[in-house]
Amino acid sequence: MATALLILHGLVAVSLLGAITHQTLATCASPTAKPYSFFGRFRAVRSAGFTNAIVVLYLTSWLLGAIVYLYFKVDVQPSLERDHHWHTLGFFDLKEDFAAIGLGVLPAYWSCWLQPVDGRSDHIRTALTLLLTFIVWWAFLIGHVMNNIGGFGW
Amino acid sequence: MVMSGSAYRRFAFAYGAAFALFYAISRARGLALFTVYPAQGVVLLGLNRSRDVADPVLEFLAPEMYWYGWTASAAVGALVIGLLAALLPDRLCRFWAWCVWVVPPMAMIACVYLTIPWFRL
Repeated sequence: MATALLILHGLVAVSLLGAITHQTLATCASPTAKPYSFFGRFRAVRSAGFTNAIVVLYLTSWLLGAIVYLYFKVDVQPSLERDHHWHTLGFFDLKEDFAAIGLGVLPAYWSCWLQPVDGRSDHIRTALTLLLTFIVWWAFLIGHVMNNIGGFGW
Repeated sequence: MVMSGSAYRRFAFAYGAAFALFYAISRARGLALFTVYPAQGVVLLGLNRSRDVADPVLEFLAPEMYWYGWTASAAVGALVIGLLAALLPDRLCRFWAWCVWVVPPMAMIACVYLTIPWFRL
């Protein structure tokens, strides 16, 4: 059960990573990019169209992560502590902290992308998108490293 | 409760900033709304430490989890602040908008500071 949930958590995280990276690059890439260049094609998509998917994927990933965390605490963390993986556990703690803070920011992020943009909220929208992108990338990479060290067995 | 677009935006901005602030405070001060013992399938109200009541070795037998409790504490506190912000005048929206992109990164830095003990082991 835990392995199935972990795989599902990973798949949702990959989808989220793709969606939010696409939106961030579409938001931050130079508007003067050549139309047929990599960034030019990124800018051609409607970045606001990713918003609902990102919110749903973040919530799903967070929920799955919260469930898998219970198994992690009982089955995996003791062996990591026994093997003195203190730094990895510290980074994992940060992943949990950042993921929770990202959860709180989600309504503001959603609001910024869905309501008409004025000059002020444009900056906030970019800042919140970058913040969530950092959180998602951090969570993905640390989760991946953690799984490689002490992942669940069949 | 039905909110106008502007009121929802004030709520969302205030909620995001307050959640990050309350999360960092909960994390620093140990203000967990509840403690989860996953091995036993037990949830207790407030912050509980297994080694407080018995032998220290119990910490290995009954690992406790505060993260859910910290998140719940932050969510409850942020909900109150968010609803208050939604009731306040729209001219304060600029303040909440400033808070929502300043406070979360600062809370994240505070969490990094609170995690330092792991890196000293």
